[in-house]
Amino acid sequence: MGTGFEFKFSVIWESIPILLTGVKLTIFITAFGLLMGFLLGTTTGLMKISRNPLIRRLGGFYIESVRGTPLMVQVMFIYFGLPLAIGTRIPPIVAGITAIGINSGAYIAEIVRGTFQSIERGQTEAGRSIGLTHFQTLYYVIWPQAFKRMIPPLGNQFIISLKDTSLLVVVGVGELTRTGQEIIAANFRAFEVWLAVAVMYFIMTMSIAKVLNIIERRLEI
Amino acid sequence: MIEIRQLHKNFGSLEVLKNIDLTVSAGEVTVIMGPSGSGKSTLLRCINRLEEITSGTVIVDGYDVTDKATDINFIRTEAGMVFQQFNLFPHMTTLGNVTLGPLKVRKMNRKEAENLGRELLAKVGLKDKADTYPDHLSGGQKQRVAIARALALKPKVILFDEPTSALDPELVGEVLDVMKQLGREGMTMVVVTHEMGFAREVADRVIFMDEGVIIEEGPPEEIFTHPRHERTRSFLGKVI
Repeated sequence: MGTGFEFKFSVIWESIPILLTGVKLTIFITAFGLLMGFLLGTTTGLMKISRNPLIRRLGGFYIESVRGTPLMVQVMFIYFGLPLAIGTRIPPIVAGITAIGINSGAYIAEIVRGTFQSIERGQTEAGRSIGLTHFQTLYYVIWPQAFKRMIPPLGNQFIISLKDTSLLVVVGVGELTRTGQEIIAANFRAFEVWLAVAVMYFIMTMSIAKVLNIIERRLEI
Repeated sequence: MIEIRQLHKNFGSLEVLKNIDLTVSAGEVTVIMGPSGSGKSTLLRCINRLEEITSGTVIVDGYDVTDKATDINFIRTEAGMVFQQFNLFPHMTTLGNVTLGPLKVRKMNRKEAENLGRELLAKVGLKDKADTYPDHLSGGQKQRVAIARALALKPKVILFDEPTSALDPELVGEVLDVMKQLGREGMTMVVVTHEMGFAREVADRVIFMDEGVIIEEGPPEEIFTHPRHERTRSFLGKVI
């Protein structure tokens, strides 16, 4: 008893050029989203270890509210909700980058906070004891050591954020998942196309892992 | 050089320093001894304000350490510190460790700072280790780098917080030798240590502390051979 299904490699072959336009957009959104997330995460992560309780609470509020709500809701809120309040439409790509940035920022903040706090207290004391200011100690002494420890968890977050961009189909950003959907809408070859889409995500996430591996080894003294 | 008046220090409700008065003159080597938990390390850390004091005054080279108007970073260049656990910066070479202060705090140019750094590394007997990372050094070598790092700021006094306690016994000597040399050159030093030999040889004065107070003080010979106080006697009996 057959299903009548016949795997057609040619379908994959033909979809590749269109899927690659989706790959490009996925990489674009991931890169800028993570750049934003990294800046936001570093800032708020450091806010969380500030000596000022108000700044600490402010950082905590951002981290908790992002971690406590689904990414899908954040995307919808930014794309459909926010424009009503600010009175102007937000282009889907901008909304997508913003959502990935704000979302990854909260997790990166926790990575930054955790690694900074994992550096022994004696390092700060040694920095301060030679007359460095609080900021100089963070910059010259703590940051380089913390950054090394950040790489594995950051790599993890980069991979998660890249995969998270697939959720942006809901606002119609033409990234990889969306292009896959569109091809299927035309040719009904769900098996081949989703397989191709999956392989492309896999190649991207593997590349991130590899690159971070190399960086990690380079930083090894 | 250092003047401490009616110093009190609390950790929460625990009073670890009770009304400490202490004067250290320029060129003097002062050794602080006492059982663990007696407050000697805390006292040392109050001098460069790694610990905030609860009340009293600490004056270093004429500057009130506790005064908000005093630039604490300046005080810390005047009063260098050497830690029990060395606390070298692991991501920098030994030369990088020694030159960080001169470069970023003293704003020296790189060439000047590196010349100074190499000179100081030679002084502590580590001339050929300038490009080595701390992980590849023995404990004794690490501590000597830490001393060079403190010296690089040209401090007026150096505070040593149990500098040989984390070392294997056979490495203690090389660190003490460097410290003895500094003492002979007239460096003002406050040293928390249990090294009697060091105290005998270079200390001008030994201070014995217990439970947050200075029990007695005097020249090393006097303290070691004729301790007046029972607690000093029983402590010395245990460490000799």
